Amino acid sequence: MSELLIRGARKAYGATLALRRGDLHLLPGEVHVLIGSNGSGKSTLCKIVAGSVKPDAGEVLLDGKPVTIAGPQAARELGIGIFYQELSLAARRTVAENICMPALPVKGGVFVDRAALEAKAARIIEAFADVAGEGFSADAPVNTLRADQRQLVEIMKALATEASILIFDEPTSALDRAQVDRFFEILRQLKAEGRAIVFISHRMDEIFAIGDRVTVIRDGETVGTSKISETDQASVIRQMVGERDDLATPAVAPPAHQAQRSAVLSVSGLSGPGFRNVSFEVAKGEILGFGGLHGQGQSAVMRSIFGADAHHTGTIALNGKQIAMKSPREAIAHGCAYVSGDRSRDGILQGRPIFENVTPIHFLRNQLALARPASLRERAMRPLQALKTKFQGLEQPINSLSGGNQQKVVIARWLIDRPDVLLLDDPTKGIDLAAKTDLFALIRKLAENGMGIVLYSSEDAELLNNADRILVFNSGSVTRELTGADRTRYNLYHAAYEAA
Amino acid sequence: MSTETAVSVTAAPSKAIEFLKRPLVVALILIVALLALGEALSPGFASAEQILRLLVVASVMGIVAAGQNLVIIGGREGIDLSVGGIVSLAAILAGNVMNGAESGILPAVLVAVSVGALFGLFNGLGITLLRIPPLVMTLGMLGVLQGLLVVIRNGIPSGRAAPALSQFVTQPLLFGLPGIIWLWIAIGLFMAFLLKRTVFGYRIYAIGSNEQAAFMAGVPVKTIRVGLFVLSGVFAALAGVCLLGYSGSSFSNVGEQYMLPSIIAVVLGGTPLAGGKGGYTGTMAGAVLLVILQSILTTVHIDESGRQMVFGATLLVLMLFYGRGRAMRG
Repeated sequence: MSELLIRGARKAYGATLALRRGDLHLLPGEVHVLIGSNGSGKSTLCKIVAGSVKPDAGEVLLDGKPVTIAGPQAARELGIGIFYQELSLAARRTVAENICMPALPVKGGVFVDRAALEAKAARIIEAFADVAGEGFSADAPVNTLRADQRQLVEIMKALATEASILIFDEPTSALDRAQVDRFFEILRQLKAEGRAIVFISHRMDEIFAIGDRVTVIRDGETVGTSKISETDQASVIRQMVGERDDLATPAVAPPAHQAQRSAVLSVSGLSGPGFRNVSFEVAKGEILGFGGLHGQGQSAVMRSIFGADAHHTGTIALNGKQIAMKSPREAIAHGCAYVSGDRSRDGILQGRPIFENVTPIHFLRNQLALARPASLRERAMRPLQALKTKFQGLEQPINSLSGGNQQKVVIARWLIDRPDVLLLDDPTKGIDLAAKTDLFALIRKLAENGMGIVLYSSEDAELLNNADRILVFNSGSVTRELTGADRTRYNLYHAAYEAA
Repeated sequence: MSTETAVSVTAAPSKAIEFLKRPLVVALILIVALLALGEALSPGFASAEQILRLLVVASVMGIVAAGQNLVIIGGREGIDLSVGGIVSLAAILAGNVMNGAESGILPAVLVAVSVGALFGLFNGLGITLLRIPPLVMTLGMLGVLQGLLVVIRNGIPSGRAAPALSQFVTQPLLFGLPGIIWLWIAIGLFMAFLLKRTVFGYRIYAIGSNEQAAFMAGVPVKTIRVGLFVLSGVFAALAGVCLLGYSGSSFSNVGEQYMLPSIIAVVLGGTPLAGGKGGYTGTMAGAVLLVILQSILTTVHIDESGRQMVFGATLLVLMLFYGRGRAMRG
């Protein structure tokens, strides 16, 4: 069985360094946990092992011999199998066909050996038979399955490769307790057979239940590897946070002024796809942070409040008045604003002048029928200048601006007529440092003038530096509220990584 | 502001090149070139009288293209293939309602325009509520209209245009120009106003450029899109009435010849099929250009089937220059 050693792996995407120095030493017969915060580089490291990403530098040794993993096919030939999250299933094919897809049994050189395929699939399915749930069978098309069942198919597909090195990138996110337990039993069997397993999970309890060793990655660098039996949750989180942070004190001083009491936005018992029973209030002048790992419901909650995804239960009230929020149009009319981090999808009107990109909200809120560019120009200039947007003229197409300036234009459209509530859904994604600084300076000023602001950021530092209060999201629920001196990186990670 | 001085320094030399690259300018240059070619092939081709005749024909095409233009700017594969059918239906209905009587002109126009709006509404609702792609929806509607025309033709005689309507289309009205050219100019001004000075116009560009972003900015995407198809039906119906005036009496497939040219005129005028860009001035030039091309092809004795081939090829060649890909990158 194989031993894999990766040393000094480095990968840059353009100017962004995704992995600075990735080291991983994988031994046969172990479950090796890989852990790191959002964007620390652990997925990149996995992709390098699986052959889907080619490293810029570094070496890979398999059983002591240097190898180059040229592509996914080459990785398979070297005995490396990987679990993908949801990405690789053929929706209309059956469970059995999907499980055997990476290595279809063949007879006569070209024909699929149905009998062998079904026998092989049946053997793997059997192990999960009593936990898979209703409707799960070898001949069920994958698109008829529930999310947890599809995830089981992905796991089975990885198992079917019978590879000696198996990588599981968050395989348990949709599974229930019984399914996780069964999966762990199988991992222990594989371990006993001498296979090497890489396991990524954000659940500390799972990591300590199944792991033998843990490697921590921080900011694209491997920080260290330790035996699970010789470490504990607090020290792992401390390694992820980094010693540079003084863990005892909050990252920022509490805001200079005490937020006025009256709530501008109150959400109560909000449930929908990806989140359940979320309740909170935002006071006038407050910046409320949404924290936690990626995709724990932060963005879904904001979009739901804004009416972009209409299916929700629970109540939303603006300035004490309950509002259905069935569409963004309704939300905007009631003084709600939403800035998406995905500006090319939700924000910019490609190919149109800056002027047309800043004005739609003004037209809607004032119910205008005529566009009077001459008199509107000055109004449009004010928020653009407040954000220090760099542009030559309002007729310039928005595409000719840099990413940061495009985002400033999108934000400016919400500020011609002041909203009461500003929802910022990872607004600084992919924009430069200077633009971020300008943006947060303005956001604080808007709050001081009485706006209620909700901020989700995938960068923990941004959240800690700018939010007055942080709600930590975990599996679609708010699991912890951090206020005052509790707003530390350590507390944030602790709440984000504990079992929900 | 310091940023504004920068623009005047750098823009001067490139402005001339940018100007020559504009589709409208290209179309105007081509118009002059084709007129010269026509004059060389057949003296008298570019006489004032002949040019006026060409402009009358171009007006009808240009009015159909106005609706097509709006639908295409609105994006999401926006196209209206049913315009030909609506032109024919409007011509037949208008002819029957007025049946040669001056007093019937106004009711005839109202009936034609209402029916055009109704079919446009069907198109719009099918595309927005049932999520049928515009290409399929309007092609299906064209089939329905063609069937309807056969039924109508079997049931009632083709109507006649009132003399006043024919005069409006063919005889000089003001400053030597026939009424239809004035109507076309008015439509041109209306389109410019709609697209550049109304919130509705801004929203057309917004949904054509990025439907999701427009939705997130509170633009009533579906209402706008339905409105575009209704306007397209109205313009096609107006063109049908004008066509009745031009030919005196209506026959069933009179509008068929307008479907492809209305799209080509829009693309020639610089509105990419991907939407979110362009305007009507270029489309007007595109319509004139197409009519001159048609006329030259007739002059050199290329028959209808040959002309259709030339038109189809023209659209394909245009796609190379102003194609979808470019609009996406733009």
